[in-house]
Amino acid sequence: MLAIDVHDLRKQFKVQKNREGLKGALKDLFKREHTEVAAVKDISFQIPQGEICGYIGENGAGKSTTIKMLTGILVPTSGKLVVNGFVPYKDREKFVQGIGVVFGQRSQLWWDIGVIESFQLLRKVYRVGEADFRARLDELVETLQLQDLLNRPVRKLSLGQRMRCELVAALLHNPSILFLDEPTIGLDIVVKTEIREFLKRLNKEQGTTILLTTHDLQDIEALCSRVIMLDDGRIIYDGGLEELKSRWGKGREVQFQFTDPVSLAAVSAYTGDMAVRWSLENDVTAKVWIPREMNVSDVLSRVVGQKEISDIKIFETNTDEIVREIYQSGSAEAPRDLSALSDDNASEKEPAKAGAGER
Amino acid sequence: MISMYLDFVRIRFLMMLAYRVNYYSGIVIYAINIGAYYFLWKAIFGEAETLQGFTVIQMSTYVAVSWMARAFYFNNLDREISNEIVDGSVAIQIIRPYSYLFVKMMQGFGEGLFRLLLFMVPGMIVVSFIFPIELPKDPMQWIVFFVMIWFSFLINSQLNILTGLGAFFFENNQGLMTMKRIMVDLLSGVVVPIAFFPGWAISVLNWLPFQAITYLPGSVFTGRIEGADVWNALLVQVAWTVVLIIPIMLVWRAARRRLFVQGG
Amino acid sequence: MSRFAFMVSLYRDYFANYMKTKLSYRADFLVEVLSDLMFNGLNLVFIFIVFMHTPSLGNWSEAEVVFVYGYFMIASGLFSTFFSAWNFSERYIVKGEMDRVLTRPAHSLSQVMLENMDPPSIVGAIVGLVIMITSWSTLGLPFHWYDPLVLIVMVLGSCFIYMGIYTAMSAISFYSDAPTGIGPLIYNIQNYGRYPVEIYNKTIKFLLTWLLPFAFVGVYPASFFLGRLDEWWMPWLTPVVGIVVLSLGLGFWNYGVKRYRGAGS
Repeated sequence: MLAIDVHDLRKQFKVQKNREGLKGALKDLFKREHTEVAAVKDISFQIPQGEICGYIGENGAGKSTTIKMLTGILVPTSGKLVVNGFVPYKDREKFVQGIGVVFGQRSQLWWDIGVIESFQLLRKVYRVGEADFRARLDELVETLQLQDLLNRPVRKLSLGQRMRCELVAALLHNPSILFLDEPTIGLDIVVKTEIREFLKRLNKEQGTTILLTTHDLQDIEALCSRVIMLDDGRIIYDGGLEELKSRWGKGREVQFQFTDPVSLAAVSAYTGDMAVRWSLENDVTAKVWIPREMNVSDVLSRVVGQKEISDIKIFETNTDEIVREIYQSGSAEAPRDLSALSDDNASEKEPAKAGAGER
Repeated sequence: MISMYLDFVRIRFLMMLAYRVNYYSGIVIYAINIGAYYFLWKAIFGEAETLQGFTVIQMSTYVAVSWMARAFYFNNLDREISNEIVDGSVAIQIIRPYSYLFVKMMQGFGEGLFRLLLFMVPGMIVVSFIFPIELPKDPMQWIVFFVMIWFSFLINSQLNILTGLGAFFFENNQGLMTMKRIMVDLLSGVVVPIAFFPGWAISVLNWLPFQAITYLPGSVFTGRIEGADVWNALLVQVAWTVVLIIPIMLVWRAARRRLFVQGG
Repeated sequence: MSRFAFMVSLYRDYFANYMKTKLSYRADFLVEVLSDLMFNGLNLVFIFIVFMHTPSLGNWSEAEVVFVYGYFMIASGLFSTFFSAWNFSERYIVKGEMDRVLTRPAHSLSQVMLENMDPPSIVGAIVGLVIMITSWSTLGLPFHWYDPLVLIVMVLGSCFIYMGIYTAMSAISFYSDAPTGIGPLIYNIQNYGRYPVEIYNKTIKFLLTWLLPFAFVGVYPASFFLGRLDEWWMPWLTPVVGIVVLSLGLGFWNYGVKRYRGAGS
């Protein structure tokens, strides 16, 4: 069964134009001008139950607007939308019983009172029975290790602690779909990992469908089997993460550090007619780019033994970089000519660093 | 330097213009207030010719002009400052290369200028058609009045800044701000001219800055204060403007120290 | 569980949470009560000062005007206890908390009301009751067994009027995200409903009776107890007008929520 079914979903906003200067402002006083802007342009996708799907895109690509439509906050301009068997905007109060929502930048807990009081209140709002609530809370508290935090007021919690509490708050009523909007924003790497582990477990044990937006592609790599990529209100990629990598992966790069100075011509000669590309970092360091279909060991065997080597490093293209490339080209339809990816990208090919898109 | 501060005036002026519903409703607010108080005072006068030396005409002129003056001097600097302190953005403002309080003052002025030109002038014209009021004929009276409401603005803004800064010291500044607002409305003479208060209250109020905000300019405008007394009234305003600088400086110094110690 | 019982139980829980919050800032509670009373004090001072210079206000004596003010305090105090979302536009629309409200399974207005309740205002209502009772005896008004019942009906009607008007006012932010300045406008007008409407001209009287019926939160219902029944049916319109205004306000809100969700932000 489908958890989320979206057909030709569209959302247009009316945007006010402000005319410039004093004269413009005076004119605006009497007559306003508006323009229509489409934030989401006729997108379609289906998410089966039990899937974790990453929803990514640059700021302003339409991620939040989509999430807001899926959670019943906004009414679409046109298109078909069924979530959890409901049309979200039609039967809002019944619909939201079955979903959980976490907005990473906004709290749903009461600021001044103990966390447990917020949970108790949410139990009432969602009409969860006392026994169910207890069992559920105990379980969540144990997995997220919140025992010591329950009686602290929210304003005294760190961001990481608060985010774990937000997750509990969104899950108390046992929703079958969980929407997460930037759940790891601003968190340190340890908390991020904890939250990812928790979400994975939730998905495996309870079969909860999860849709998350994020700027941190590490989230995607850790969690999602599927990625939907959005650009300017349109879906530019929808499919598996592995597929994305294999389609867009630009191969690997091997860096050799020699004991003695080398020249570009000399190192190029080692590989002869192989379809690789060499570049020099400095006089003792050279890099070779190897296309995906070629074996790294073939190249290595040609180089090793030719000259004394003090160090070898292998770089795998990471998702960050792939995504950045796709954004730049504006489409994931067909990978461009790989040789176009010049060497000035090389400096960015650091071994995985946390969250490139994070602010 | 000056041009930068003038820019704050301009930007706030444009900001006010951007909200047109605000503009229309503002005119209606003032019209209704003046209308309601006019009828209220008419009922209070009843058969009487004069009350506390006010004729009916003088009274309605006073009501109209004091509400119009209020349009100019009124601002929400207290709430703005208080909010910026509570949400911590004051720390960012302080490290900018300008005087925070002066910028606030300029923003308040931009707001006042907006209301003066777009509420007060059209409002006064409308009111003078509907209600029997008497505008001064002597141009000097007009000039002095505009000088005086400039000081009204200064004094009122200073009081607003003082109460706004209270947020540095009290966890909840709302109470202080509400009390200030009530005091200004009641004791400055917008709701009731000071002359209507009982004698003991008048002698107390003479020593408070509130009367300088509405009552003095309103009295000059209606011609109840004439001749040399006009200069005395102006002097009182100037004196209060100067005197109020002292507590602001003290509170501001203490506040900054507090900010640096606590880190905002 | 019926919808109403659900709401009542939610109110109890939100109230408990409110108390827990406030107990951590005990001084706030006091400050709020005090500034509330001071505000009412300002209006009373105005009445006292005015009556130092005139024996009557359009045929109404000082005690009568104070009596009306007492009634006004009861209704407005009770109303503010349950509805205090003055910064609705700022908090829910500009800062976007409306999104959170819309992801929860309860009516959006009731959630907003619950999150903004203001129990200190009840003190104002109690003081109002005391003022009303005091003026009752000063005026030597007769007391009938049904008077308390009538008072309850009238106050409910008045509260409905407030609720309808302020709900509609908050809902304006769904239509326009710019500050409208209508808040202070309404707030000012509400103050004029507690003086005898005869003193105003036709326009203002009409406004206060039929357009923004604040005269039903003051002078009309109070005149029932004062026995000033020029038009005997006028006080009895209070609950009727209340229900009408409340329904209009709710309709405007519900439509606004739909529009907000259509327009987005």
